Amino acid sequence: MSEKDIRIGAYVCYCGGNISDVVDCEQVAETLRGLPNVVVVRTDLSMCSDAGQSLIEEDIKEKGVNRVVVGACAPSLHEVTFRKAVARAGLNPYLYHHVCLREQDSWVHQSNPDEATAKAGRLMLAGIAKARMLEQLDTIRLEAEQHALVIGGGIAGLRTAWDAAQRGIRVTLIEKSPFLGGHMAQLETIFPTGENARQALHELIEKVVSHFLVTVYTNAELTSARGYMGDFRVTITAQPRGVAEDFAHFDEAAAACPVEVPDDFNYGLTTRKAIYLRYPDAIPNTPAIDWKACTRCGECKKVNGTGIDLDGKPQTIDLTVGAVVVATGFQPYQPREGEFGYGQFPEVVTLPQMIRLMTMQEGNGKLTWNGHPVNNIALIHCVGSREIPGVHEPQEDGRVNDYCSRICCTATLQMTNELHERFPYINLFDLHEDIRTYSRGHEDIYTEASKNGVRFLRFHGDERPEVTAAPPDDTSPLLVRVKDYLTWGKELEVPADLVVLATGMMPNPVSDIVKLLKITEGNDRFLLEVHPKLQPVETAVPGVILAGTAQGPMNIQETCSAASAAAAKVGVLLGQGQVSLEPFVARVNHDLCDGSGQCVAVCAYEDAIALEPVLVDGKTVQKAVVSPANCVGCGVCVSVCPNHAIDVQGWTLEQYEAMVDAITADLPKLEVVE
Amino acid sequence: MNSRPDPNESENPMNTPDLKVDALVVGGGIAGMQSALDLADQGYRVALVEKEASIGGKMIMLSKVFPTLDCCSCITTPKMSAVAHHDNITLLTTCDVQALHTNGNGGYTAKVQQNPRYIDADACTGCRQCEYVCPIDLPASYDLDMGATRAIRVPFSTAVPQKAIIDIEHCLLCGKCEKACPTDAVDFSQQPFTFNIETNAVVLATGFQTTPTDAKREYGGGKLLNVIDALSMERLLAPTGPYGHILRPSDGKEPESIAYVQCAGSRDQSLGVPYCSRVCCMYAIKQAMLLSGALPMADITIYYMDIRTFGKGYEQFYQNAKAMGIEFVHGKVARIDEDSEHNPVIRVETIENGRIAERTHDLVVLSVGMLPGENLGPIFDVQPADDGFAAIPDPTLSPSATGHPGVFVTGTASGPMDIVDSIIMAGAAAAQAAAYLETMRSSVAAGPTAIPEVAHV
Repeated sequence: MSEKDIRIGAYVCYCGGNISDVVDCEQVAETLRGLPNVVVVRTDLSMCSDAGQSLIEEDIKEKGVNRVVVGACAPSLHEVTFRKAVARAGLNPYLYHHVCLREQDSWVHQSNPDEATAKAGRLMLAGIAKARMLEQLDTIRLEAEQHALVIGGGIAGLRTAWDAAQRGIRVTLIEKSPFLGGHMAQLETIFPTGENARQALHELIEKVVSHFLVTVYTNAELTSARGYMGDFRVTITAQPRGVAEDFAHFDEAAAACPVEVPDDFNYGLTTRKAIYLRYPDAIPNTPAIDWKACTRCGECKKVNGTGIDLDGKPQTIDLTVGAVVVATGFQPYQPREGEFGYGQFPEVVTLPQMIRLMTMQEGNGKLTWNGHPVNNIALIHCVGSREIPGVHEPQEDGRVNDYCSRICCTATLQMTNELHERFPYINLFDLHEDIRTYSRGHEDIYTEASKNGVRFLRFHGDERPEVTAAPPDDTSPLLVRVKDYLTWGKELEVPADLVVLATGMMPNPVSDIVKLLKITEGNDRFLLEVHPKLQPVETAVPGVILAGTAQGPMNIQETCSAASAAAAKVGVLLGQGQVSLEPFVARVNHDLCDGSGQCVAVCAYEDAIALEPVLVDGKTVQKAVVSPANCVGCGVCVSVCPNHAIDVQGWTLEQYEAMVDAITADLPKLEVVE
Repeated sequence: MNSRPDPNESENPMNTPDLKVDALVVGGGIAGMQSALDLADQGYRVALVEKEASIGGKMIMLSKVFPTLDCCSCITTPKMSAVAHHDNITLLTTCDVQALHTNGNGGYTAKVQQNPRYIDADACTGCRQCEYVCPIDLPASYDLDMGATRAIRVPFSTAVPQKAIIDIEHCLLCGKCEKACPTDAVDFSQQPFTFNIETNAVVLATGFQTTPTDAKREYGGGKLLNVIDALSMERLLAPTGPYGHILRPSDGKEPESIAYVQCAGSRDQSLGVPYCSRVCCMYAIKQAMLLSGALPMADITIYYMDIRTFGKGYEQFYQNAKAMGIEFVHGKVARIDEDSEHNPVIRVETIENGRIAERTHDLVVLSVGMLPGENLGPIFDVQPADDGFAAIPDPTLSPSATGHPGVFVTGTASGPMDIVDSIIMAGAAAAQAAAYLETMRSSVAAGPTAIPEVAHV
């Protein structure tokens, strides 16, 4: 298009007074009238209203306007609105430029209206200068693989997989361990409903694994990933299970296995063999070999010649997926040796251990631990949560867990209620900072605990209780010392046969996945979302989505909501088979590119720009080539190119220069003359 | 909800759907908007029905939002705008769903009444000329009656849609607005209008209400001038607020000592509200921080039973507030009276030392709780649980699903929750509605041949 064919429409918005109360919009408009190429200048009370948008559409259709500049609020609010209006009138939506007259001008210069008006004029002139150089652009549309990789086979991963598959999206779910279900399998009842946790979990697992769109790999980890939203190339490495599906001699094989390791299903309270089932009806219900523990002695094979293979090789699976959901879950905080007596006194256990212990303790007669009757139990809240920097001992990475783990208060009180029901003679002491039974039905659990006669003691975060050995003639082996602020700061001693530490949540260590997917952790080590309200389950990497406790502490219900929200995002990204990206990416002029590769060296994004052989005048030479899907348009390459061979589309150097010239030009017409 | 239309309605309008969508979202607060967007962005056609004249719900009234302290408008208005401009969303304001019937095909027919704005919404440009000439001054409900508004008005500055509405109860029919309107949009002849929406899925996001300030006799029963609720404080703190300053009601003075009374409507058996409202600790701390900025010399005290800052980043937020010098006093406030100058006097047992204290402040803010909003029983057959919020059959694994296939409930209609949790849950409801829509579609279209191959290995 030659310069004389450019017909610009310029619109100055009052923003309902937001702009016009400070900026003299009419004067700004007057400044623009008669400028080269400017064929329409209008002001309006609210350009973004339907009426305002219609003005633009009519001018395009009736006055032949082919470039549009609107001065209004910040582009983040309404740039897209006006682009859509321009497109509705049949013009390429990128022949639009948005000038910010509100956040950048009227709101920040309220006390200086004259200069704000002059500034508005200059900003508009800069926009018009850029508009003369605008070119048609197209959004980058990419085929999206309607297939999501879900990492983690706990409740979050399962729930995401189920919702996504129901939505019609193919799912590959990988679980690092040989069994599905995560931590939920280790629970007995779910608060506050009292449902059977494993039964509810198993129902979901059965639905997920039998869905025709879901493929599940256990013993499997993500080992490589590249690509971009809609087209991630991932490699999964699956370790062999070591045991055939039809192997029928598990009990004998386990008896023959000479290796005994702490059973992490019971948080180390019991031991298991190197050939194991996580629990009797674990899913999949085929035993597995714990390769870290197995010595490959072959004793298990002697039980029955077939069905066990100790020499299997890992299998790698290459997949193309459109999105990756990270549902890698949590681990309970592991107290340090000696922290509240943990590891020092056998009578100190964690709450997850206590939950397992309650399952293993049969009947409702007498609770015993370590062969001793249990008459007094102290439960201490906030172990590994709400720690104070400078007060509490940091972990290896120098950080303390300064966050609330959200679930422990209710879980602890739920434990007191179960203890009371089964062993009503036991004296229960609850030592807390605050009681945070926040969720629906949770306060009732607290009320019940109070009615059950649980004795509540309250400490300050920087004065945590101390667990010590009781004098030899005491009936209970431990004494818990606490400065209790429900009795006005008295130093109290609580006798304890058992101390339960309500340990908090920490994210599972997933630094390998973080590196592979280039996502980020927050200061609390949990995976970081873009924004808690605007993009609550998305990471800064488009197409990589978070689900469940990998992102922060949550209970099962909250995890299921978060997992479904992640599935909704998968549906948004992949549901229509295509993803579209803004066209503001780097573009190389091969006439100017000398193949120096400086752009490639500075680019922070994988596969965004590379030197590739290009045929020029019959000769093959190296030139920079941009992969639009991987480029984010940051412009770093533009700044280092020695030949000005690179530009970011829609924001070229030429356009910038024109804008700067317009802003800095001496424009007496704009100065306020009283 | 009835399984079949009422036979008494002759020439049943149910037979003629006026709008056909994939999903009907009821409620245009943050939860409803987010559900609508998450469905529409997946390509489903959505009708969003809001009974007020603008979407935005309670959230748009807030000042800043925790824990990021983002300006609330900056988070809410882009979502409102996205809803209004989305190709797949039909936005219906001033509309009530009056009945919902199953349509026999696995979907539903909603009977919706659009209440008159007395404005031709297509013609109105939101220029507010009508508002300027209207002779009727009324307390502004958007500012909780602290500012003034007119009988004809655009509901608030960031309302979506930016269309005027006439408060017909207070209108004198003087006709000044009609003359002032540049587009002849005023139309006093409008009548309620009923139409049908045919939909396959329904998302109920009808929200909550706050504890009335007069709920608790011990806290003055709403009669103490300088005892306000936290939503009023939100308006005072908002940049679009009524005064642009923090002023107390009795004499318009800037308060030098402000107290927050926590659990003023929650965890209180005497009010029949045994549950925790989840948001009050955080909003009180947030307001205390904002007040520290607005009134740097003011003393701010928060009286509490437990501080429940359980969300992501919330505990750190609480610790920051303590470091800023905000005073936290452990004790349930027993009574609030006032002295001869209307200064509220708080009577509380300070638990840390076991003493009864009486402390005088310039202004007391009640951290009011969340009460159930609309009873979803009569129209949607989603019955309230004991706490008044929607009963959820499988709250653990399917927190959004109701007993009716394809009908979901989300946000604070299903219990107290903050904005972050509402947004997450709105996404969850959208996911489950989408799954339902696809299941319906495939049960019609697919046979075994439609099954794609399982992922290659």
